[in-house]
Amino acid sequence: MVLNLLPRLMLLACIALLVMLLGLLLGSVNLPLESITAVLTGQGSPLHKTLILDLRLPRVLAAFATGGLLAIAGALMQVLLRNPLADPYVLGLSGGAAVAALLAMLAGVGVFWVSSAAFGGALFSTFLVFGLAYGSGQASATRLLLTGVVVASGWGALISFLLATSQAHQLPGMLYWLMGDLSHAPSPVIPWLVLVVVLLLLIPLGRTLNVLARGALQAAALGVSVKKVELMIFGLAALLTAIAVTVAGSIGFVGLIVPHLMRMVFGYDQRILLPASALAGGSLLVLADTLARIVIAPQQLPVGVITALLGVPVFLLLLYRNNR
Amino acid sequence: MHQSRFWVVLPLLALQLALAASALAAPLKTAAVEITDDTGQVLQLAKTAQRMISLSPHITENLFAIGAGNLIVGAVEYSDYPEAAKQIPLIGGYNQLDIEGLVALEPDLIIAWHSGNPVAQLERLAGLGIPIYYTEPRSFAAVSHELRQLGRLTGKEAQAEAAALAFEEGAEQLKAEYAQQRPVRVFYQVWEQPLMTLNGEHLISEGLSLCGGVNIFADLNQLVPVISREVVLAQNPEVIMGGGMGEATPAWLESWKKYRSLQAVQEKKLYFIPPSLVQRPTPRFLQGTKIICDKLQAARNF
Repeated sequence: MVLNLLPRLMLLACIALLVMLLGLLLGSVNLPLESITAVLTGQGSPLHKTLILDLRLPRVLAAFATGGLLAIAGALMQVLLRNPLADPYVLGLSGGAAVAALLAMLAGVGVFWVSSAAFGGALFSTFLVFGLAYGSGQASATRLLLTGVVVASGWGALISFLLATSQAHQLPGMLYWLMGDLSHAPSPVIPWLVLVVVLLLLIPLGRTLNVLARGALQAAALGVSVKKVELMIFGLAALLTAIAVTVAGSIGFVGLIVPHLMRMVFGYDQRILLPASALAGGSLLVLADTLARIVIAPQQLPVGVITALLGVPVFLLLLYRNNR
Repeated sequence: MHQSRFWVVLPLLALQLALAASALAAPLKTAAVEITDDTGQVLQLAKTAQRMISLSPHITENLFAIGAGNLIVGAVEYSDYPEAAKQIPLIGGYNQLDIEGLVALEPDLIIAWHSGNPVAQLERLAGLGIPIYYTEPRSFAAVSHELRQLGRLTGKEAQAEAAALAFEEGAEQLKAEYAQQRPVRVFYQVWEQPLMTLNGEHLISEGLSLCGGVNIFADLNQLVPVISREVVLAQNPEVIMGGGMGEATPAWLESWKKYRSLQAVQEKKLYFIPPSLVQRPTPRFLQGTKIICDKLQAARNF
C-alpha cells in the first residue's frame, strides 16, 4: 500500500525541486538563465553571485523548510486533537510568539532579538497551555483544544492592544511580521536540520500515529501508551511551529490545508502523509514567496498574502473532484 | 379673536427672525480670522484661538516654533518636542482620540492632521461645533506655509513670519550651496524589517534633492514602499543613508557591509541620519537636511 504511493511521492519531490529552481530564477531583478548556471558552477559576476547565493538561495531554502515544518506540525495537531480544523497555531503558539516579537520591535531591538523573542514567546505559550490542560492530571483532546483556543484569544487581544497603541511608523513592521514575511529569514540550517531529524523520528512511529488518529480508546485497546505518545506529538509539533514562527513570523494556512490536501492524494497513512506534507508545504511556501517577491516588484508583499490566495482554489478544486 | 392673537404674535416673530439673522451674520462681519486650510475648506473664527488641541506631534512642534505652545490645552501621544510639550495633557493617540477628554478641555480650535487622524472621530467633533483646521504639510514650502497659517490662527503673525523666513532662508542657502554639486545616487532606508524606502513625493526626498542627492526610488508609486534588497544591489547606489528605530547608529547600517559589490560599501558611504530630525515636517527638518547635505558632501569629497 505504502509502496504503491512511492511514485507519487517521487513526483512531489520533483515538483519541489522545480519550484525551488524557479525561486532561484525569479526575483525583482531579472537574471538570464545562463547567469544561474554560471553562478552555480562557480563563475558569474559578483552582483549575480550576491543575488543568487546570498539573497535568493538562503531565502528559498528557508521558505521550503518553514513550509515543511508548518505542514508537519499541522498534520500532527490534527492527529493529536482529532479535529480537522486544528492547525499549528490552534493552541496559541503563534500568538505567544507574536506578542513577544511585537514587544521586542517596540523596544527597538534588532532582527536577531525579535526572532529570539518570538521563539521564547512560542515556548512560553506552549508550556502555559500544557500546564493548564494537563496540570490537573485529567487531560483530554477536548480540554487541550479548549485551553489552547482560549489562550490564543488572550494573545489575540494583547496583539490588538499593541497594534492600537504603537506609533504609525512602527506599524508596517508589525503587520508584516503578523502576516508572515521571509525577507529577514535567518540562516536556513537549523530549520532544515529540525525538519529532517523530526521526519526521520516520526516515520517509524507512523503506525502508532495511525492508530491514535482513530481515537484514544481504540489506541489504548491496541496497546498504545496514549498519554506518552500524545505528549511527544504535542512537544514535537510545538517545537516545529516555534522554529517556523521564528524564521518567518506567523504564516497562516499552510499548516491547516496542506495535510488535508495530502490526505486527498495519499490517503491516511501517516508514514507517507508526513513526508508528503513536508514536500507539499515546502513547495507551496517557496512558490508563494517567489510570487510575493515579483508580483509588484520592486515592491514586496508579505508571503502570507499569497499562500492563501494560491492554496484556496487548489484545495476547493480537489475537494470538489473528490466528492464527485 | 384669532386675528388679535395673530397681531400679538407677529412682532415677536419678526424680532426672532431678526435676531436669528443677526446671529448668523454677526460672525461673518466680525470674524477675526478667515482662513483656508490644507483641504481647501474655509474656516472662520470669531477671535484668534486661545485654547487649542493639537492632533499630531508635528503640529505641537510647529505651534511651539511660532511661540504659541502655551495656547495648546491638549495634545496627542508622542508630542515630545520641545521639552515643554511633554507637560501638555494628553487626549489619546493620533489614531485614536479620547473624544470626551478632548471636549472637556473646552477647546476653541482643533488642529488636525488630515491623513493621520481618524475621519469618523473628526466628523463627530465637527458635529459638536468645534472648529477644525486640517494640515497636511508634505513639502518645504508647505512647512513654512503651515507656520504662517498657525500664526494667523493664533494671532502670532510676527513670530510665525520670523520662523517661516528662517526656515525658507535656511533651505535656500542649502540649495544654493549644494543643489548644483555633482549628483549623488542615494538609497534612503526608512525601515529594516521590512525593508522600506520613500518615493519622490516624500519630504525627505525633497531634502535629498536640495542637497544634490538623487533618490534611486523616486519613481515608485507608494509614498513609503516596501522594496526588495535585490533591487538595491542591482541599482548600486553611491550612498546608503537612513534613520531607524533609535537615535544610535542602527545595526542594519552595518548589515549592508556584507554586500561587498556595493559602491556604498566599498567606499564606506553608509550614513546615519537621526530620525527625530527628519520624521516630522517642522523647523527641525532643516537641521536634518543640513546633516544630509553634509554627508552627501563628504561622499563627494571621498
